[in-house]
Amino acid sequence: MKRLILRITMVLIAVLGVILMLPVPVPADGWKQAITQRSWHFPKDHGAHPDYRTEWWYFTGNLVGEKSNRYGYQLTFFRQGIQTERKNRRNAWSIHDVYLAHFAISDVGNGSFWFSEQVSRPGPGLAGASTHGMDVWCLNWRARMKNGRVLLDAKHGGTYLRLELIPRKPVVLHGENGLSRKGPLGGQATYYYSFTDLETKGILKTEKMSDPVNVTGKSWFDQEFGSHQLSAEQVGWDWFSLHLSDGRDLMIYMLRRKDGTVEPSSSGTLVEKNGRARHLKLQDIDIKPLAHWKSPASGGLYPSRWQIRIPPADISLVFSTTITNQELDTAGSTGVIYYEGTVSGKGTSSHKPLTSEGYVEMTGYAGSIGGVI
Amino acid sequence: MKIVTKSFLRYLIRRRSLSLLQLMGIACGVAAVIGMVLSARSALSSFSDAVSFLQGKGTHLIERPAGTMDERILTDLMRDRAVRSMSPVLDRKLRLEDGNLIRVLGIDPFLDRQIRPELLHSPFTQRRGESGERNMEFFLDERAVFLEARLADKMGISPGSDMKTSRGLLRVIATFPNPSGEPLILMDIAHAQEIFELPGQVDHVDLILDDEVDFRSRWETGFRIQSSLERQETFRSMVGAFRLNLEAMSLMALFVAVFLIYNTTMFTVVSRRKDAGILRSLGVKRYEVTIAFLAEILILGTAGGAIGSVLGYLLSHFLTTIIGSTISNLYFFLRPTPPIWSFLILLSGIILGCGASILGSLLPLVELARTDPVEALRGRSASRRSGKKALKAAYAGIVVLMISLVILLASGKQIYMAYAATFGVLLGLSLLTGILLVYAAPALKVFLSLVGGIAGKVAAGNIRQNLGRSGVAVAAFMVALSMSIGLASMIGSFRESLAWWMGTQLRGDLYISNASETEVPLDFYEELRSINAIGGVDAYRKVKILYRGRTAYITAINAPVLQRFARFAWIEGGDEHWEAVKSGGVIISESFARNFNVRPGDTIALDGIGGSVQLKVEAAFYDYSTEHGLIMMDRSTYLNLFHDYAINSVAVFINPANPRRQELLDTVREKALARGLPVFTQKQFYNSILEVFDSTFAITRSMRIMAIVIAFFGIAGALMTLFIERQRDFGIYRALGFSTGQVSSMTLMEAIGMGFISFVLSCAVGTILAFILIKVINLRSFNWTIFFHMQWQPYLLTAVTAFLASLGAALYPIWKVRRNYPQMQIREE
Repeated sequence: MKRLILRITMVLIAVLGVILMLPVPVPADGWKQAITQRSWHFPKDHGAHPDYRTEWWYFTGNLVGEKSNRYGYQLTFFRQGIQTERKNRRNAWSIHDVYLAHFAISDVGNGSFWFSEQVSRPGPGLAGASTHGMDVWCLNWRARMKNGRVLLDAKHGGTYLRLELIPRKPVVLHGENGLSRKGPLGGQATYYYSFTDLETKGILKTEKMSDPVNVTGKSWFDQEFGSHQLSAEQVGWDWFSLHLSDGRDLMIYMLRRKDGTVEPSSSGTLVEKNGRARHLKLQDIDIKPLAHWKSPASGGLYPSRWQIRIPPADISLVFSTTITNQELDTAGSTGVIYYEGTVSGKGTSSHKPLTSEGYVEMTGYAGSIGGVI
Repeated sequence: MKIVTKSFLRYLIRRRSLSLLQLMGIACGVAAVIGMVLSARSALSSFSDAVSFLQGKGTHLIERPAGTMDERILTDLMRDRAVRSMSPVLDRKLRLEDGNLIRVLGIDPFLDRQIRPELLHSPFTQRRGESGERNMEFFLDERAVFLEARLADKMGISPGSDMKTSRGLLRVIATFPNPSGEPLILMDIAHAQEIFELPGQVDHVDLILDDEVDFRSRWETGFRIQSSLERQETFRSMVGAFRLNLEAMSLMALFVAVFLIYNTTMFTVVSRRKDAGILRSLGVKRYEVTIAFLAEILILGTAGGAIGSVLGYLLSHFLTTIIGSTISNLYFFLRPTPPIWSFLILLSGIILGCGASILGSLLPLVELARTDPVEALRGRSASRRSGKKALKAAYAGIVVLMISLVILLASGKQIYMAYAATFGVLLGLSLLTGILLVYAAPALKVFLSLVGGIAGKVAAGNIRQNLGRSGVAVAAFMVALSMSIGLASMIGSFRESLAWWMGTQLRGDLYISNASETEVPLDFYEELRSINAIGGVDAYRKVKILYRGRTAYITAINAPVLQRFARFAWIEGGDEHWEAVKSGGVIISESFARNFNVRPGDTIALDGIGGSVQLKVEAAFYDYSTEHGLIMMDRSTYLNLFHDYAINSVAVFINPANPRRQELLDTVREKALARGLPVFTQKQFYNSILEVFDSTFAITRSMRIMAIVIAFFGIAGALMTLFIERQRDFGIYRALGFSTGQVSSMTLMEAIGMGFISFVLSCAVGTILAFILIKVINLRSFNWTIFFHMQWQPYLLTAVTAFLASLGAALYPIWKVRRNYPQMQIREE
């Protein structure tokens, strides 16, 4: 959910290629709204929902290479609607929506972080998403589902990623049967679901590697769509997706407001080993930053170590970022600066020790996101 | 030594008018060189800036060998492992209301930001703060464009206003700066495809490649791939002839200027012979006199050079505009950035001024240093000796001439050598002036006595008597006038040849669209063809290709139509060549034949859409449409090769005997206009070609005017010096009883006599120069034969110029005579 704000911002900004020049267009104008619960039909619903203004497919994962080197990856596709109908249906370039994609690799072994981004309108087959099932692409980056497996493929220069993801748990619908509320008003919501546990294998290569490495690990997939606009009260958000060693998965998002409080609708989901999901309300979550890292590039002061307690599930965790600098500074192009990186930690659940790995996303620490919105 | 130098410098002040004239002479020479070199440089750098600016970060470009590309190729490019980024471009032109052709780039801003991040940065940020909906206009409004800021300023267009163009009204939603100075319109690719009626097509795709070799291995067939370096090289070769022309003009300015400055300083030294003699006889040492002379010359050179550099800088702004409009006519609409003032310009002016001055003073100084003081005291050297000197100069001239001719013949493709040799020929001929003057003296005497009676007779004698000075003055004037005649005859002959060529090839009754901004729709061409009474319809397609890595053109025509209606100027053979063209052969232009050393009977390999194809060359024909070379083929051959159905223009031929001729012409015209296509009659079509031709030579014409201005100062300076030297003679005339009027007319006759003889000599030398320019320089740099056409206009113009310049130059001395003559004494006697 919190990522929605970031994504809308980034998509819109990328649309025009320049920072802060484009306020979010007034929403709704003919776009469908996420107001009531919907009936989900998979695999069709893995595909695009072009009646809604904003939509994204979000993959993150923690991988291990042949020599036990650890890696993190992020591959995300955003679709931002521009106008509900294409003005000129005969012309492939006539705009309905625009696709934006981010691709990042964290090489934990040597502490390096790399990222790239692409933007394209659908044009003559340059970007798009099927409405029949998961097949989304932005230029030569692509995610598609074939025989129940997700195939990811992205290449930029000497860096590339080719992964096969097999869901080990069923789809998890967040919020109220997939309707994730973002505020008190109707329409201030999105449809949001995840594959929280995807067994992953494939190959990865960075510019610094002479040969690609075989990798295995776990990935997380989110898909969300809606047409609403967020309030200007919010300055940013923190989002966590954690794989716990006892087989459970935990998602938490905290929406931060200008006055220092947390948005009451912030929440989380705990997914059991058998795939059963449990909605966590704000009062079920206790989260404290323990340390900070200041980005030398942007000056943003980001939390880098946290303690999370989920009293109803008797979970207590301390975890931190695996590489200090995983900040995506897109000031030169899209203009948004945010942090998206791998984390790992330890803790207990029902007094039994456990470890965790996952991803964190933090926005609004370097330059206000709310101002854009 | 100081005293000597001071006395020399005081002389400069005493003879203010002469010093001023000398100063202006040097300044004009320096100004011509600085002006020409600066403007040529800034125009050429604007040129390559424009190219590299638009290349951005792109490493390569891919396009079809001819015509547009289906945009579906983009998905294959996008998936190619060697491609890092790509940006499709529709690169077109449209005409503004003021008649200028402006380049329109249809791009996809999302993809293009990887290749040209700066291009769109500004217009999008400019609109920051406005509502998001308005920012989306670029993508949503079919008429929305971004306009280059300087052009917007010039046209008084502000964001939000409309702009009339040949493609309808466009709405400027923002402006953007283009550091290269090329005016541009940016448009979303969707809208560009619509207004240029090219749905699904792109002209080329800019690429950033990770692995060129790997990429080429997959895309070699049916496409042309060019690296940025190759593109710049192609571009350089495309503007090569133009660059050469500018450089030649700069060289010519340098030659005339150095000659003038040389002339000026030589006078300075020669006229001070006597002073030097006096000083030497008073015991002043040889080197002291030399240093005093040098000080004087350096002061003149420095001051003249400094003034010249400022004048040249101002001149360069004017010339840059002229060159800019020529570039716009020939290549693309460009407003070159005028040069920026720098200390270096001043420095180069001074170096040039002093350098040429020292060069000019060298010989007389050496001679002076050798001369016995008593001899020098006599002032002007005796005529007998000047006659000998003239002979010596003539021998030197013949040697220079012979060496130059040998170089000229041996220079081959070395254009710069050929240019140097041409100047050598000019120099050699100018050295012959003195001896010619000696031989022409009796005739001149007859001529001047006829014109001015006794005054004329004396004037003729004076010219002969003062051969040392009058010879140099006449030589300088003659060189400038010859330049004028040579350039004008060359341009005139070229224009005549062009007109003749148009008459052979362009015999259509109507031409529909000659401009590069419009293409003729295929169905319109078919529609015209279906009108039975029309004699023939020729679909003309011209595309730029790379042949052996260099620019060349292919044109597709309807051979049967041209066979019937055109009268091609074949280099060998006749219209039977068309039969071979109809069955797949090609014909080539003279420039292609010379440029690539291809002869009829040879085969040439062209990269078509299906790979390389061998084509037989049937014949060569005279052509002035491009110096790069042209391969002409039948439309059917072309379509087989390139699958490119676009048509640039259509020529309509109607049988002269057809009784419905006028009615048919009107019908065609109406049909074309209804589709918004421009229609030209044969005459209008010719005129538009001649207009481009004239604009091409605008800078050459400016140089002619500059040569004449320089010539004016040359002859005026020479006359003035002669007059000042001859104060004593005037005393004698007075003692002999000559009236003021007679002495005035004598001065005038002397000026006119020198002007006349300069003109007569320049007629011969100018014609020789024209001949060299046509038969050697043009043939080698443009690879085409220009036929020499004798024209009287350049000669008449030069005669008038010579007369007016002589008259103008004599005015001041005459005024002096009228004021001072009555008081003149034979002081020395």
